[in-house]
Amino acid sequence: MMEEKKTTKRLKANTALRQIITDFYADAHRAKAEGRPVGWIPPMNGLIELFYAMDIHPIFPENWAPICAAIGTNSNNFAYAQRRGYSSDLCGYFRNNIGYALDGIAEENQPLDGLPKPDFLISFGAGCIPTMKTFQVLCDHFNVPVFRADLPQVAMENIGEHHIKYGVTQIKRIIKFLEDLTGKRFDIDRLRQAVAYTDEACRLWDQIMDARRTIPSPFSAAEIGIMFVMVTRHGTKIAVDFLRDVLEEVRGKVERGEGVILNERIRLFWDNIPLWYNMKLFNYFEKWDAVVVAETYTSAWTMRMDTDKPLESIAYKSLVSYPLVSCVSLDKRIELIRKAVVDYKIDGAIFHSNRSCKPISMGQMDIMKMLSEELNIPGVMFDGDHMDGGSFSEAQFRTRIDAFMEMLMERKGNIY
Amino acid sequence: MDINFRDLYERRLDIVKEHKEKDNCPVIGTLCSYVPVEILHSFGIIPVRIWGQSENLHKADALLQPFICPPVRHLMALGLEGHYNFLDGIVHCYTCDATCGLFNIWTRNLKPGFSHLISLPYMTIDESLTYTMAEFNNFIEKLESFTGKKFSPDNLKRSITIHNEARSLMKEVYYLKKAGFPAGYSGISAMNICSQTLPLEIFLPELRKYVKKMKEDDRGSSGKLKILISGSVISDTSLMAFIEEAGGDIVADDACIGLRMLRDEISEGDPLQSLARYYLTRPPCASRSDFPSRKAHFLETLTDFDIDAVIFIHQKFCDPHLSDHPFMKKVIDETGIPNMQLEMEGDELTGRVQTRIESFFEMLERR
Ligand code: SF4
Ligand code: SF4
Repeated sequence: MMEEKKTTKRLKANTALRQIITDFYADAHRAKAEGRPVGWIPPMNGLIELFYAMDIHPIFPENWAPICAAIGTNSNNFAYAQRRGYSSDLCGYFRNNIGYALDGIAEENQPLDGLPKPDFLISFGAGCIPTMKTFQVLCDHFNVPVFRADLPQVAMENIGEHHIKYGVTQIKRIIKFLEDLTGKRFDIDRLRQAVAYTDEACRLWDQIMDARRTIPSPFSAAEIGIMFVMVTRHGTKIAVDFLRDVLEEVRGKVERGEGVILNERIRLFWDNIPLWYNMKLFNYFEKWDAVVVAETYTSAWTMRMDTDKPLESIAYKSLVSYPLVSCVSLDKRIELIRKAVVDYKIDGAIFHSNRSCKPISMGQMDIMKMLSEELNIPGVMFDGDHMDGGSFSEAQFRTRIDAFMEMLMERKGNIY
Repeated sequence: MDINFRDLYERRLDIVKEHKEKDNCPVIGTLCSYVPVEILHSFGIIPVRIWGQSENLHKADALLQPFICPPVRHLMALGLEGHYNFLDGIVHCYTCDATCGLFNIWTRNLKPGFSHLISLPYMTIDESLTYTMAEFNNFIEKLESFTGKKFSPDNLKRSITIHNEARSLMKEVYYLKKAGFPAGYSGISAMNICSQTLPLEIFLPELRKYVKKMKEDDRGSSGKLKILISGSVISDTSLMAFIEEAGGDIVADDACIGLRMLRDEISEGDPLQSLARYYLTRPPCASRSDFPSRKAHFLETLTDFDIDAVIFIHQKFCDPHLSDHPFMKKVIDETGIPNMQLEMEGDELTGRVQTRIESFFEMLERR
């Protein structure tokens, strides 16, 4: 048997990332203290560009959830949600965020000082049901102005003119609301600048991800935390600067032929959200000299923005972000994975069957079937939960993965 | 009463198949009550709500995880078993994530000749209406190329008229029952399902006869407590019967198929616009509502039907309803009306559920 090897080569960018995370929340508290509005919004839509263009600090409850999972306050929040009558079969993001916003927020001494309470809320139609419902609960709970926006869920391949047009209508309504709220006029050129930053961030993101096509791969899925900037700092220079540094570091590794592990032999694909409370799991594969080099989740930002059409661009972004990674566009998602598996020279795929997230988990069997039938790439599925460690057995995971990896080793002709 | 929707319900798939053969018309499956069936009907297509419970639920395991709600898993199993092979296509209107996934997985694996997903907005402002009409026009274009027929506004008007008639008669059935007509809710439920699964040309004449007879018959008062049941898909007839034996009279529902679709009529005027308005303003399902709009209709129904108690019947893993429940409970608690929640696992009426219902009614009687 082999010994478990240690990972030593985390990206240096992680130090900067920690600072970015701290600053994001510190900025939010500062905005609050200075009387600038803080708005809570659903993630991954074009409102973030609008917020930054209007000097409004955004808060994304959905992004707070992984932080809670990492620091361990998630179980506390789950307990609060349960006490309020929310079933434990609901998505972990939902339970964590409801539990936190309704009760946990009142606790003292929170990491990162917790979330500043919202000055207003934007409740959306778009996204999955748990996201939509999270905001409905928040709107009912916080006594603050609420803007009800609307965006239908459209399969990515079906997005047409009338969808974009409707999205633009909604954005114009929101602009009016924000102007009234802040007493400031909206400036289209500032939005254009924000959209340009996002476009650049997406371009850099693609380049960073592309670098992982190299064998050996310069970094693994354990670095997925860098997507924090793609969720919270789109529309700002902060994301662009950070990603530029990441790209430089990653390219340096590629040039030097420096892989994330010493003798990379097996390249893996990961489907579904990571287990935020157990990111070490990604290192488990190292004992077979295997690295997770691509994920479905990270493809959510494979898009371009058009600065000539800033309103249309953010409408489009709002429309595609969720369908792209969920079961709304299953065919599109399958197409994306098919391409990634070829481009990244994948040997096997790991499917996290995520009890907490139905929309991303639905269709995984189809994806697995496609990979094996069309590309002869084997896959393995394990039961987990992206937020709730109580629904995950590491022992079972190991048994599954061990057998799968042995099989992959044999296929590769790597007999130890 | 000799008109029995239960019997039609049992034979519904055979009836559709016969009809299809006789008239040589396409049959299209639907997954949600938001699909504008009037449009399908105007093209001479029979819309059939895909419905039912499979005896081989494990068949779904190959494509769906165990944490997907039981109704969706049942439908997938029925599809895989070939019960719906006679369909020429499938149409869905985005509501919850689980049915959206089912639509895509069904389409990939069962490869229907026609498939289409309609994406409705959630608001009722003017722009939403314009958007919805564009969405419907998209659907119409696809149907035109599928059937080789041109869309006819006049046909749509006719389809709307008979759907209006059916809905208003069904609504009458609820009010006649409330006024004391002795009918079990399982009969009403069968009527509701028939309205979505049979060609209207077969269902409507039966419905007319049924309402006529109801009006002629004597009525009294059941003297039982008036119950409203609320949830997503409520199809377990043994559960309905058990509630009625325990001392309840289910007079109203807030469920996927039922009163919610019957409150409004599709107005006259431009048929496509009226249709769009109907679907946007009908009482919303949990997947398509925000709390205030759901609350309004709920309170209206409680008063309208003089409700004594509410029973929530929720499917396990059902995100929209489980996440609405604490809010809805608060709304009802404020009215002082007693209520309870049953979480179903898609299986038959279990002992645990029976005991909970019995103690609920004991509590109600002691009040
Ligand atoms: S997409 Fe999945 S993980 Fe995200 S909120 Fe929705 S159900 Fe939860
Ligand atoms: S509404 Fe609930 S029960 Fe119905 S299909 Fe959706 S998740 Fe399942």
